[in-house]
Amino acid sequence: MLMAVRNQFKVSLLSIKYAIMRELLNKVTFVTNIVFMILNNASFIIQWVVLFSIKDDFGGFGLKDVLILWGLSAMAYGFSRFFFKKAFSLSETINTGKLDSFLVQPKNVLLSAITTDVEPSALGDILYGYIILFIYGMNLKNFILLTIYGMTGGLVLTSISVILNSLSFWFSKTDVIADTGNSLMINFSTYPDGIFKGVVKLMLYTIVPVGIVVYIPIQVIIEFNIIKLSITILFTIFIVCLAFLVFNKGLKKYSSTNLMVARI
Amino acid sequence: MGIIEVKKLSKTFKVKIKEKGLKGSIKSIIKPKYKTISAVNDVNFEIEKGEIIAFIGPNGAGKSTTIKMLTGILYPDAGSIKVLDIDPIKDRKKLAYQIGTVFGQKEQLWTHLTPYDNFKFFGAIYDIPESRVEKKIDELRELFELDEFINTPVRNLSLGQRIRCEIVASLIHEPKVLFLDEPTIGLDPVVKENIRSLIKRMNKEYKTTIFLTSHDVGDIEKLCKRVIIINNGMVVLDDTMDNLKYHYLNKKIVEVKTKEKVNLDDTDGITVLKDKGYNLKLEVDITKKSVTDAIKLLNPDNIIDINISNIPLEDIISSIYKEGI
Repeated sequence: MLMAVRNQFKVSLLSIKYAIMRELLNKVTFVTNIVFMILNNASFIIQWVVLFSIKDDFGGFGLKDVLILWGLSAMAYGFSRFFFKKAFSLSETINTGKLDSFLVQPKNVLLSAITTDVEPSALGDILYGYIILFIYGMNLKNFILLTIYGMTGGLVLTSISVILNSLSFWFSKTDVIADTGNSLMINFSTYPDGIFKGVVKLMLYTIVPVGIVVYIPIQVIIEFNIIKLSITILFTIFIVCLAFLVFNKGLKKYSSTNLMVARI
Repeated sequence: MGIIEVKKLSKTFKVKIKEKGLKGSIKSIIKPKYKTISAVNDVNFEIEKGEIIAFIGPNGAGKSTTIKMLTGILYPDAGSIKVLDIDPIKDRKKLAYQIGTVFGQKEQLWTHLTPYDNFKFFGAIYDIPESRVEKKIDELRELFELDEFINTPVRNLSLGQRIRCEIVASLIHEPKVLFLDEPTIGLDPVVKENIRSLIKRMNKEYKTTIFLTSHDVGDIEKLCKRVIIINNGMVVLDDTMDNLKYHYLNKKIVEVKTKEKVNLDDTDGITVLKDKGYNLKLEVDITKKSVTDAIKLLNPDNIIDINISNIPLEDIISSIYKEGI
């Protein structure tokens, strides 16, 4: 069992390595994608700096809190898009019969399918997270927490995408639902949770779990709390398992196609 | 016991029916209609170790669906499959270690990598230690004559070279059964011949059982000793190639060039296919008339040249597709 898990990770890492090698074929594009993503994220912070020059407090968040909120959101987004890019277009993989080549291999189909490509600009998001941490206050504790939360957030974003994209096994054109779900997560994760009240707030801690993967982590980074840390980790484990469950259930409905496709 | 056992295998697909135009599209949203297509219907066969079998049929006959069920890609609706005594549905991963697949229409190789890097990747997929993968690559690069392009990115290879690499990639883990789905599609006759001889060598050297689907009669005739024909989801013929030829080659084509014009009409057992005065083309049904009888009718002294041939295998297969036996 342990050996199988080790071998699975080895293959997934090798797959990511080869995908990076493909992106590095054009080094200039690779680097500019990263740099421009950092600049793009920075431009949003400028808007917040302007807003904070008018008002000191937004939903209980000061400028530094908003900075780390953006840093963490960018990291989670970057982590998911860099390592699991194909999770966000999984419905296309399902609909065009591209799962065939993964199904005939003795490895986990989902992991194989979502690790065959990387998004270079997402590396800019990850780096942006650490740059923000420098501005916020770099120390070992914050570095470890941001890294952990970047990973848990990324895994949750990936899992939500896998769950919604897996609906393609049952229904057609579900990519729109998946895109909407992902957009909801990203949009809410860049605003202080204090500005949301009532039903919206309840929604952010349940069906659009931004609260668990972004707001609670911000609270932990500001003031460490082991219970809150555990909540996020347990939720991540739960949603990752759910993603595997839904995907594997859907796999039984997979109908493949005879379209001519190439692995690119 | 066979290496592949298929019993009462069935698979249906539910397909949405849409009426034409925008109105039809809106109607299909409000009240969708579906029809059930039976892709594979009660299919049974057994394949022995080391066999090369041709699994053929017209487009949409159910070949790909069957091969996909045998390899664990699709779930059957009914029936049972055992490949090397493994159920592809229950033990997909276990089976994957034992089988190889080449889909002529679907690339499995990373196009930006060289064949060598791809083979190493496949080695990792099948948990083969580095040293063993190196040894296997060396062995296969020699057998498949890959030296010239083993370090060239796959995207720069010709189609023939790429297919050779696809086959090698599927052999890295020494599979006991190899599924080849139209491996020679789009290849020129020289490359096709080359791929066929490699498949033959592979079967001979490694005793690999080969399950081949192809629309190319050359593949079937030159590689396979047994043929299974599927049409409308059902097996319509499962026989040896020799039997197929023996039973269905009961018609001969006789082409003659004569000194003087011959007036010959269709008679029982002889059909005039072409009559150009001094050149005649006849079809002789040897169950009714012998070729000698046909020649006697033409007067042997009048014949300058004669050619007697079998009906092409392609025509036999086409007639089986049409008639469904």
